[in-house]
Amino acid sequence: MNPANISETALNPQALNPQALNPQALNPIVFEVIRNRLVAITEEMRVALQSVSGSPTVTEASDFFTGLFLPDGSVASMGFQVAYQAPVCGAFIRHIAHKSKHVVRDGDMFIGNDPYIGALHQNDVQMVGPIFAGNAIVAWAGVEAHETDVGGMDFASWSPKAREVFQEGARIPCVKLVDRGEMRDDVLEMITTASRLPGPLELDIRAFIATLNVARARVTELVGRYGPAMVTHAIERMIETSASRMRARLKELPDGAFHASDFLEHDGHANVLYKLDVVATKKGEKLTLDFSGSSKQAPGFVNCTRSGLMGAVTGSVMPTLGFDMQWNEGVVAPVEVVAPEGLVCTAKFPAPVGSATVEAIWVTGNAIMLALNKMLAASRKYAHRAQGVNDGAMATFNLGGVNQFGEPFGLHLMDPLAGGSAAFAVKDGVNCGGPITSPISAIADVEKNEQVVPLFYLHRRLSRDTGGAGKFRGGLCAEVALTLGGIERAQALVMTHGAEAPNSAGLGGGWPGSTIVQTFGRGAVDRGRAKKADYETFGPKPGLMTMTSGDVFAVSWQGGGGFGDPLERDVAAVGNDVAANAVSPRAAREIYGVVLDDGRPDHAASKALRDNMRRERVGAFATDAARICAGEPIGALGPSLEIRRDAHGLHVTTPAGYILSTGHSRWREGGLGRSMKQAPAAHRILLHEDLEATAWYCPATGLQLAVDFHEIGRPPAHDVIVDLEALVQAQ
Amino acid sequence: MSYFVGTDVGGTFTDLWVAESAGGARVFKTPTTKDVLGGVIDGMRLAAEAYGVSFEQFCKGVERFGHGTTVGLNALLTGNAAKTAILTTTGFADTLEIGRMRRHTSGLNEIEATDSFLRGRNKPLVPRHLVIEIDERVDANGKIITSLDEAQARAALAALKPQSIEAVAVCTLFATVNPVHEKRLREIVASVLPGVFISLSHEISPNVGEYARMSTTAANAALGPLAGRYLSKLESTLREAGMACPVLMMTCAGGVLPTSVLNDRPAYALFSGPAAGVVGSLAMGARIGAVNVLTTDIGGTSFDVGVIANGRPVMRSDVSVAGADIRVHSIDVDSIGAGGGSIASVTPAGGLQVGPGSAGANPGPACYGRGGLEPTATDADLVLGVLNPANFIGGRMTLDIEAARRAINERVAKPLGLGLMEAAWGIRKILDSRMADLLRRMTIERGYDPRDFTLFANGGAGPSHAWVLAAELGLNSFVVPAAATAQSAFGTANSDLAFTTERPAYVRLQAGRAANEAEIARVVAGLDDALRDVRANLAAAGAGANVRIDRSAAIRFRGQTHHLDVPLDEGAFDAAAFKAATRKFGGMYDAMFGHGAAYSGAGHELLAVRATGTGSLPPPPLKMSGDALVAAGHRSVVFDDPAKAVETRIWRTTFPAPDARVDGPCIIEFPGQSAVVPPGGKARADDFGNLHIELAP
Repeated sequence: MNPANISETALNPQALNPQALNPQALNPIVFEVIRNRLVAITEEMRVALQSVSGSPTVTEASDFFTGLFLPDGSVASMGFQVAYQAPVCGAFIRHIAHKSKHVVRDGDMFIGNDPYIGALHQNDVQMVGPIFAGNAIVAWAGVEAHETDVGGMDFASWSPKAREVFQEGARIPCVKLVDRGEMRDDVLEMITTASRLPGPLELDIRAFIATLNVARARVTELVGRYGPAMVTHAIERMIETSASRMRARLKELPDGAFHASDFLEHDGHANVLYKLDVVATKKGEKLTLDFSGSSKQAPGFVNCTRSGLMGAVTGSVMPTLGFDMQWNEGVVAPVEVVAPEGLVCTAKFPAPVGSATVEAIWVTGNAIMLALNKMLAASRKYAHRAQGVNDGAMATFNLGGVNQFGEPFGLHLMDPLAGGSAAFAVKDGVNCGGPITSPISAIADVEKNEQVVPLFYLHRRLSRDTGGAGKFRGGLCAEVALTLGGIERAQALVMTHGAEAPNSAGLGGGWPGSTIVQTFGRGAVDRGRAKKADYETFGPKPGLMTMTSGDVFAVSWQGGGGFGDPLERDVAAVGNDVAANAVSPRAAREIYGVVLDDGRPDHAASKALRDNMRRERVGAFATDAARICAGEPIGALGPSLEIRRDAHGLHVTTPAGYILSTGHSRWREGGLGRSMKQAPAAHRILLHEDLEATAWYCPATGLQLAVDFHEIGRPPAHDVIVDLEALVQAQ
Repeated sequence: MSYFVGTDVGGTFTDLWVAESAGGARVFKTPTTKDVLGGVIDGMRLAAEAYGVSFEQFCKGVERFGHGTTVGLNALLTGNAAKTAILTTTGFADTLEIGRMRRHTSGLNEIEATDSFLRGRNKPLVPRHLVIEIDERVDANGKIITSLDEAQARAALAALKPQSIEAVAVCTLFATVNPVHEKRLREIVASVLPGVFISLSHEISPNVGEYARMSTTAANAALGPLAGRYLSKLESTLREAGMACPVLMMTCAGGVLPTSVLNDRPAYALFSGPAAGVVGSLAMGARIGAVNVLTTDIGGTSFDVGVIANGRPVMRSDVSVAGADIRVHSIDVDSIGAGGGSIASVTPAGGLQVGPGSAGANPGPACYGRGGLEPTATDADLVLGVLNPANFIGGRMTLDIEAARRAINERVAKPLGLGLMEAAWGIRKILDSRMADLLRRMTIERGYDPRDFTLFANGGAGPSHAWVLAAELGLNSFVVPAAATAQSAFGTANSDLAFTTERPAYVRLQAGRAANEAEIARVVAGLDDALRDVRANLAAAGAGANVRIDRSAAIRFRGQTHHLDVPLDEGAFDAAAFKAATRKFGGMYDAMFGHGAAYSGAGHELLAVRATGTGSLPPPPLKMSGDALVAAGHRSVVFDDPAKAVETRIWRTTFPAPDARVDGPCIIEFPGQSAVVPPGGKARADDFGNLHIELAP
């Protein structure tokens, strides 16, 4: 930061006059040159942040955000780290612009983390800096990262017992940390003093400054070359390009209402079930997401504010529908959000929101992505890439105390990112694919962890039978067992959702991946060697506890959702799964109906078993000829749900031609539903006492059409409402 | 007559660069053969013929034989390496499968990475059923937590017998800190599976971090039998023909080594081709007094860049191959999909994109007339007048300029409402700006000012685009090396011997605390051990007593994940040297990330030390006579303004004579490239056949 560059004039960030632009000068060639440069600058910001940061959440898990913004806060170019963070810095920039008390000068940088302004939760510290051309702001650079501790009543600023946001991490509304190029050391000290880990926090704040320095230098150079008007216009066109691609994508997809919900259990105080519910209504080039059916806000820290909801919307729409376009504000331009105040995903001040990212936001994202995938499944062009939910939960294991070097430490274990990916309509999910909302997240080497933090792993491996069952199997998650290394005791914070709710939903008759299992073995290890001990299985949120070097924490996470009826899975593929230890022989038999003979699948015996299992599902096969439509399929609502026409009109049928509904898409009316309090054990799915599962079958063949998870006593909703005639025409 | 020979086997062509004792140098190109060896021998025959001697006479006269090949890389990429098993610590056999979650997105470009449907393309290097868990465990301090269960290891290995394993990679946790179990496992493997190729992780990739170490060791083991067979065949074939000197193989780190030293470490030569290109520029830079060189290579599909700062190539340690993280100390050659074959297309939103898709050699650019309909950068260069349709690749191919015009007109100009020339100019502009972005990434982002560098323009398309790249970066000149189209082959013949290795040595210093004696001793022990290794290997390679040693330490602020390699000053490593190194680290840090980014209150961590030894080899004689530049008429060429083509003189040469001079605007056509001198520029040849092109001030 060179003091010579300082402009003395206080400026309105929106002073840039759009009339001054000359769009004629921005031909496709200059646009492409500037666009490439801006993408390269964004990438350079990422490199700077990851190189300087001290937090593994940043350097490995990519739980951070870097981007360039228009003066109005629209994100123009962003890295593809945590997409949930895309709207955060923009909201912050708008906040600055609308508060006249904030005088913005060249060389300034602002810091904040208030979820009631724009952050997802207080751990997400963000900084933004204006980029000036002469007296006007041409753009803003923004950066954000998850910090392990920003104060509050409990270590890691995630407090299961919090009832108000005041008890959680320090809230920084919007503070000028760098004033015309000069660090305000007193302010920095105030911020770091609030944290239990002032050193790592300061290191990351320095990383933010490095990131903004880089952005400012490069964009200024670009503006010097092409002029501010041209650069601004190029940024606007980048956004418009993505917006028009998104509108085109929406136009290709079927009109209709697509409904999905997901659940999180335990609010920190009581094991209460919360529903995140969304109806995605698509009409023409417009998408409306309505969250009105979600639960009321919780008394504990699992909520998110409206900022969090907007993060969930952006982060989910981008990878699901915008998978092949540049991610920026344009991707969500055609999306409207309907959500009344006071829901668990629109919590009102001063509700606690400490764990919003891994609770309400994550689960809202799951529901949105599931609904959108139902839309993809109803599109001929995109049905192949329809899938259930990837990595539906991010469990927490935080550890704090004094490390093996005698220093205060705090770690936020990133390994739980290694959840399984959902299967697609045409192929299995990958193992440990992690969240698609954060496409390049990674986990650290065991050795690198053990070298610098007081952990000792007994294993880190793939976890058998965790992939959601289906014709195409969900990917496996990993599992770890660890104890302390080099220290005697520490404080551990253990919490999750998804221990009693299968968040990694399947699709098209596929099952969800496993639920999370957190166990704790006291006295289960002696000087690094495991010994026989009883393990306690935790509920979702055991919270803070003391851990010693004789204890083992062992956990497995969620595999990805499956796709299609598991009895349709290729018998040989199940044999390979068993050989690769991905599926147990028991699950092969009980879920997939595959009989093994000396480890190899017995095809004839498997066929007999599968026939039997299909019959058992429905009792006896329906044989009413009047329910069979003779016509050929002329469209599809989704996998296994075909549309046929005869003299009576349009029907939704099963592949056997069995008529489920006529003239409308509420096919469950004619399906055969069987409800269960718990899924068969081989699925490794545990259900909350208020949840149940309903499997839907073709009455004529026993084919599994869907598996719904819903509150007990509230029958599953009709999840795809379309005009059959219009759908057939569109397909 | 004696010859210095450099060979580089690429995917399509095998290049030979030959310097004869009298001082002339020539380049030969032959198609790469499936067995690789054949192409090299074909090239040698071609050279013999050109010098008017028999193959045997030529071989007898070879004084040095340098070699680079991507044969190992291709084997890994196509899954054709040896059948390999891995032994690792119980509880961690899924390390490759989990792949730190990076395996799935590795190799995807920025748009592909956001598409989860594209994941799962890269299988683990070794399938899970060939990864064997061995009961043993060492902790981060090297303490044995669980002793090696030899009986279990023997039984597990015996069970592998029916699998016909050719190679075994051993990678146990923290073997880098305490290798005792890996060493014992080598003995056990050798006794249970005699004859298999064995690689130990602490020897092949002595780094903390099990995923990359295991991948690298597995890759090394999988290549071992293959590379050994290939190199010994090459060596014996040439020896039988009369060649007396050893085959010197280019390593990833730059510097050649005889095959005898490399046989156990084929992974060290994984990226020998790109490394050799930079080494060639290093050698030529040394001759013309350029210590800071930006070396660029524009081929058909990719644009490669290496950086030489202060006479040393910029290095990196992590590379991705077939989705796996490979950790081999390598010359950093970064590349993007931008070259002559890059396809220009109009996006649905009305934008113009060039690359990363490439028309390759088949069908190739539209102007090749092989059925390619999509316009490429080569088509644009042809339409703009940069290329001569009648004199492409030395006249061996005639380009169809009408096809080029048609492709650009139909697929770019009309959809965008641009004129033909404007569209062609736009294609070049976008391609050049993407390449300039990579050059910026390789320099400015790392704290280098590109204006302190000499730009070397290699590859078929490099010399015709360099004037734009130079201008983009604020340089006023660039160099077209005499061996611009065979820079890697040139590099293998002009390289010193070099060996590099590292040792982990973890020291954690809280702010204000100086390293104590034990910590200094830990670092010194690592340095000493690395030096011993370097000296022993260089001695085996035949280096003389005069070996130059470079040492560096991997340092970061305490709590960071990324480090910088900080060069260590000469002399004993003590507390003062440690302090000097951390101070130097701070300086490098500020240069890269700007003032205010460094946090001195953090303290420091030293992770590892590295030593590189270089044994100089006498450079080949290079005294050129060269030919005069032959005037070959005029054509109109578009430079900066698509609306204004400039009448431009055309010169031809195969090898410009010393001090030949011409003024721009002109184009100097070589058999494999066209050097563009823009208006106001000047070109001058030096004593080695390099063209120095200065831009208008």
